[in-house]
Amino acid sequence: MLNILFKTSSYLLLTIVLSSCASTSFSDLFSNYNQQMSAVKKAQQQGDFQQALSVIPERSEGNGSFTLSILEKARLEYLLGNYSVSQQDFEFVYRRVQEADQAAKVQLSRGVEKAASVLSNDNAIRYEIPYYEQSMLNSYQALNYLNQQDFTGALVEIRRANLVQNNALKANQKELTESQNEMAKQGVTSESLSSKYPSMNNVIGKVKNGFQNAYTFYLSGVLYEANGEPNSAYIYFKKALEIYPHNITLQKDVWRLANALGMDNDIPMLKKRFSSDIIQINHRSNKEKKGKLVIIVENGIIPNKEEVSIHLPIWSSSSRNYKFYNLALPRYQNKVRQYRGLSMNYQGKQYQSEEIVRLQSLAAKQLQDQMPGIVARQVVRLIAKEEIRQQMSRKGGDLGNIFANLYNIASEKADTRSWSTLPDSIHILSTNFEPGEHEVKLTVNGNLRTINFRVNEDRQTLIKLTAIGSYTNYQSFNL
Amino acid sequence: MKKLVMITSVVLTLTLVAGCTNKSAVRYGDANAVETTDISFGSTDLQKVAGEMTDSLLLSPVVGTLTANTRPIMFVESIKNKTSEHIDTESITDSISTKLLRSGKFRFVDMGRVEAARKQLDFQQNSGMVDQNKAMQFGKQVGAQYMLYGNLASIVKTNKDQSDVYYKFTLRLMDLESGLVEWADETEIRKTKGKEFVSW
Repeated sequence: MLNILFKTSSYLLLTIVLSSCASTSFSDLFSNYNQQMSAVKKAQQQGDFQQALSVIPERSEGNGSFTLSILEKARLEYLLGNYSVSQQDFEFVYRRVQEADQAAKVQLSRGVEKAASVLSNDNAIRYEIPYYEQSMLNSYQALNYLNQQDFTGALVEIRRANLVQNNALKANQKELTESQNEMAKQGVTSESLSSKYPSMNNVIGKVKNGFQNAYTFYLSGVLYEANGEPNSAYIYFKKALEIYPHNITLQKDVWRLANALGMDNDIPMLKKRFSSDIIQINHRSNKEKKGKLVIIVENGIIPNKEEVSIHLPIWSSSSRNYKFYNLALPRYQNKVRQYRGLSMNYQGKQYQSEEIVRLQSLAAKQLQDQMPGIVARQVVRLIAKEEIRQQMSRKGGDLGNIFANLYNIASEKADTRSWSTLPDSIHILSTNFEPGEHEVKLTVNGNLRTINFRVNEDRQTLIKLTAIGSYTNYQSFNL
Repeated sequence: MKKLVMITSVVLTLTLVAGCTNKSAVRYGDANAVETTDISFGSTDLQKVAGEMTDSLLLSPVVGTLTANTRPIMFVESIKNKTSEHIDTESITDSISTKLLRSGKFRFVDMGRVEAARKQLDFQQNSGMVDQNKAMQFGKQVGAQYMLYGNLASIVKTNKDQSDVYYKFTLRLMDLESGLVEWADETEIRKTKGKEFVSW
């Protein structure tokens, strides 16, 4: 009896010690991130960002999810209009990401985290900020700088965001093959996984990878054009158009700049792709002086990852047959929410915003790419836990068996961490406007709003609108 | 199980050792020493850029003729930051203009302090507290003849073995009346950081 208690307690102690070295709080091991964040998201949904900020779970500096909780905080500070606080928080996370990028190839602390995760779950591993979240970080940072009238700073952030996407492009294919090989080594085939794991195809849609963010490209284009670099702007608008080929706003911008810059190779190709409405807009004859209005609308809040339990056959080389295991895996629900976005009436013409990014699709694609690696770690973990259960049952009889089983069930949690205060979908709309002060009525997801802004001749006015539930707010920038 | 206990004890020892070796101390250092704390734009880069540019400008034959009999008046526009770092380019222009002033060949007007000067003149003219015979007059300032401006651009590349950053700093001197660029030069910096193999 003493023996059992000793065994059990030493087992538990080991986990606690390991997890404290890997600096993961105990609660993270036994409850899901999405559960911890539910109060925050509820307050955010009601537009009470102060309340949302106050219920973010406290984490110590060494905690594996510390940077993630700073990201959540920075986003809420942004929504509250505390731009300099938000900027400092984002900068802190950015520096952490940079440090991790330049860290040594073998980091002993990561080894300890991995060891701790074998006894508990993936939540013991440090949260790595995926590329799409990094590009959103830099995009918000650009807006933070704009809000503080620092246009140069905003351009720096835009360059950083695009650097992230370039690096991601290089790293992606290699990581994908590596994690698939890892999973195969653990005796799980891609076919058996995809037959058991719930589909996310509706959410992923036509997204080809989880890091190319058309919104960041579009914002880059707008800011570059305002900085007098139409050539760079053209490149980024074209990149965004590759991802959203049917977006009318993008088509107009690409067509306008292609003509202004005399892109003779591209023009015939664009002529074939675009509808006649767009091609007929003749920019050269447009002598009357106008400004340009660009509206960016953030809709809703990104849905959470959820935990799903699947029953998977795994090839065991020792017993030379398949054994079935229960795996707790993260997933996104396979449905997308539709947003009406923004509609506006100006000089007798109706304008409607269109989607430029669906962040949930990027997140789901990212998760799908990571899945083989997650499964591989999970299998290693299950086999280790099973080994311990057998030993305890042999040495401690029924009681040992029960203890081990209880622990295994309690600690079997999927890693549902992700930046969960982000918007769900972002829309854009742009059109020419008469110079001067304007008061315009528009409908945002069914709510009527009036916005005031100034348009300067031959310049752009950027309006950033946030719509969460019945909450709406906007800022305007004269670029 | 035994292995796990072993790992734990090793880890615990490492944590303790790491905890004991961290001692901080305050020291004074050489302001001109080479600084390699990290790969981003640092004091050494700033000194190198400002030093090379002023030397090049002062030694150029064109500037020699410009400054032969007079001390031309310049103003520093700004250095456009085109890098992916938040660099205070004003401190680069400060260093350059200070060095040029110290050479005694140029004079400067400071556009950053126009508002403060206007306030002071306004006070002298309109507050009623300053003797009007000794008050400075509006409209007597001298206009700049030359404009100094430039760009700082960077290219950053990273792979699994190293990070590399390349800076290119361009500076130009424009005759404001004719619009001619009288002088231009550029200086380059390359920094590479290899990744360590093992660390905590």
